[in-house]
Amino acid sequence: MEALELTSVEKENNNEMTETKKFNIKNTSKELLGRWYHLMTLGRALDEKAPNYLKQAIGWSYHAPYAGHDGIQLAIGQVFDKETDHLFPYYRDMLTSISAGLTAEEVIYNGISKDTDVAGGGRHMSNHFAKPEWNIHNVSSCTGNHTLHAVGVGRAMKKYKHEGVVFSSQGESSVSEGYVYEAINGATNEQLPVVFVFQDNGYGISVPKKDQTANRKVADNFRGLKYLKIIHCNGKDVFDSMNAMLEAKEYAMANSIPVIVQANCVRMGSHSNSDRHELYRDNAELNYVKEYDPLAKYRRMLVRYKRFTEEELQAIEAEVKLEVKKAHKAGLTAPDPDPASIYDFVLPEAYVSEKYPEGLHDYTGNEKKLIEGLNETLKAEFRHNPDTYIWGQDIANKDKGGIFNVSKGMQQEFGKERVFNAPIAEDFIMGTANGMSRFNDKIRIVVEGAEFADYFWPAMEQFVDTTHDYWRSKGQFSPNITVRLASGGYIGGGLYHSQNIEGALTTLPGVRIVYPSYADDAAGLIRTSMRSKGMTVFMEPKALYNDPKAAAPVPDDFEVPFGKARVRREGADLTVITYGNTTHMCVEVADKLAEETGKQVEVIDLRSLIPLDKETVLKSVEKTNKVLVVHEDKVFSGFGAEISAMITEEAFEKLDAPVKRVGSTFTPVGFNRILERAILPNNDKIYAAAKDLLDY
Amino acid sequence: MKKIGLFYSFNTNKTAKNAEKIKKAFNDSAEVENVNVEEIDEETFLSYDNMVLGVPTWFDGELPNYWDEFMPAIEDLKLKGKTVALFGLGDQVGYPENFVDAIGILARALEERGAKVIGLTSTEGFTFERSAALRDNKFLGLPLDIENQAALTDDRIKDWVEQLKTEFN
Repeated sequence: MEALELTSVEKENNNEMTETKKFNIKNTSKELLGRWYHLMTLGRALDEKAPNYLKQAIGWSYHAPYAGHDGIQLAIGQVFDKETDHLFPYYRDMLTSISAGLTAEEVIYNGISKDTDVAGGGRHMSNHFAKPEWNIHNVSSCTGNHTLHAVGVGRAMKKYKHEGVVFSSQGESSVSEGYVYEAINGATNEQLPVVFVFQDNGYGISVPKKDQTANRKVADNFRGLKYLKIIHCNGKDVFDSMNAMLEAKEYAMANSIPVIVQANCVRMGSHSNSDRHELYRDNAELNYVKEYDPLAKYRRMLVRYKRFTEEELQAIEAEVKLEVKKAHKAGLTAPDPDPASIYDFVLPEAYVSEKYPEGLHDYTGNEKKLIEGLNETLKAEFRHNPDTYIWGQDIANKDKGGIFNVSKGMQQEFGKERVFNAPIAEDFIMGTANGMSRFNDKIRIVVEGAEFADYFWPAMEQFVDTTHDYWRSKGQFSPNITVRLASGGYIGGGLYHSQNIEGALTTLPGVRIVYPSYADDAAGLIRTSMRSKGMTVFMEPKALYNDPKAAAPVPDDFEVPFGKARVRREGADLTVITYGNTTHMCVEVADKLAEETGKQVEVIDLRSLIPLDKETVLKSVEKTNKVLVVHEDKVFSGFGAEISAMITEEAFEKLDAPVKRVGSTFTPVGFNRILERAILPNNDKIYAAAKDLLDY
Repeated sequence: MKKIGLFYSFNTNKTAKNAEKIKKAFNDSAEVENVNVEEIDEETFLSYDNMVLGVPTWFDGELPNYWDEFMPAIEDLKLKGKTVALFGLGDQVGYPENFVDAIGILARALEERGAKVIGLTSTEGFTFERSAALRDNKFLGLPLDIENQAALTDDRIKDWVEQLKTEFN
């Protein structure tokens, strides 16, 4: 291969003298140089002190030292403006956070997980610095996951014509994660003012970057993307980093396009306190990374160019020593979190329905299909709240409105700014919803999480992270998102088009899950979801969209509160607890049994799985003394297992028979209709189980 | 030939060894004085009209700290009448995208201040992808790759110094 000369742009980046850079050792004000030295010395003092807290069993059991990243971290914090910008630091960004304004006390409170920790009161891991109040976001440990949130905030900035920029900071190895590509691709496609900073220290824990990707500078992997600027800088050098970050910010804002800043750093220490870098780095390397020490270099330059005397620097160092001492004392006397507070901030308060407190109505107008109930309520809510948005795959293209046309006509009425397609990237759909709702808490987002519920799995890392957010930030950030998923079988769809996933999702605290069976409940629940804070998964039984069985009169303003089950058929001989597609089967079976045996089966349609209406369930059990739980998802580890266990635990004395369950077999759902019928529950299977119980 | 200032960091091992080889190759054809880059100031730098500079490439294409920290001083110097030749260690296998970049960074900076850069060499015998040290398919100095081509180093130095003898005033 013929070797290449650098392009003119690269030469410019490599040659410090082609233009006078804004910051250099000679022209930067003494006041600013001194402030930087103070911040850098303070950061390093805390970084070096952190392991002592672990040795003394006080805390900071996760610590990722930043030494060697000093230049770029100082620069990120310095160019960040808390009044206009958003910052997503990663777990090594201690100096970034200090430079952005966090105090020594705030760093120590986070390090030793105190209740006063501004990131989230000690709920998240140590060394995960944040201050949501200043838009310094509390992010996941899942590396690079916040790139999608940054893109979401960038989208909001563009839509609301906000003058600002989003900074997303991460290590170079996290760029190996597929969702980082989704984020950068999306930011370029939508042309958003997001600056992605790759702090390149050459390692992902012990994995050298040659084992991550072929280019040594991973930013170069993105050279083919349109609407993207890439800047390389020396992250160990204060001035080069300051100039690069300033250029990145100005460029992103002026052109509304994303910028990648790749900052060459070294990792002077191990990855974290649980890593021993001497196991994989030789002495020569350990020596040269010390030689690179950015703080020592900066100090030498301050003296060499006579900007500060040795005595002046020593005075700053003495100040920092006192500052750390004072912060240490404050840290040790700060209150710990209260164990009784663990249930606080799992989910934010839901919208309260004054007109329909039980989610019931006696409206007798024309019946609407389930799909009509959804479509009309979505539109009504979009008219009601101008800060509503919906996106997903296939969501809007001329007359197409969603894979099943649930959002038909919305783009025509509300425009492309609020109703728009997403790329075929479920994690991007979910992650940018999380991000966009960080911009302000008026925003309400609806996403079609995937074309079909069974395609939602690629979004799981974002979904799981979103379930953590409200709790992890101690109520400071609530992702206000409704995730719509077309769910279930009976359409001959096979794997990826006919399965249920709610059994798996209900294991995660931090999300509401609803699953209506009728048009009126679908309308009422989507309205409540869109008016509430927090995340709600809205399962749509796609087999019922157009089924006359699911049609119902729907009051225009109907609301169904979360956690309110609906008794679809009253009875005293057996309680059947169900939701979704199987509700209709259970009602039919109950009618048949009444006709054949005279016995009356009570059918409870849960509507909400989380929160669960235990009161209605237990009240019915007390009356009937027999329970059958029916759902379409698998019996094994399905949500029915939780209901069954709850009844056994809380109403054992009321039972005259074992709690039985009907659901899918513990297999995937087959494509051939013969297989599908063998796998999914149906009237016959429910009838047999109900009859057994009635005869017990 | 005027006296030559041979600038490199005295704290280095590999660069220092090769600087000594260069000095030796000049024999008695020129007076060569070793200068420790880590301790120089503008005055020392300007006291030589002929200079040979040792500038290894650090990490992914960077100047070593001792040169980088001197760069702001270079920015204010007038170097017209100065003739400089650069050599530098690099690793064409480990860092093929930034092979001996530091030679190019320093050479261009000196040229911008008026210095004449001599001792350009051919890329023949090297395999790499990109280099900031290239101009018109020639290196702006002498690359030495003792990690991968140690056996070629002595001959490369000998040939280069012979070339410098004809190019220095």
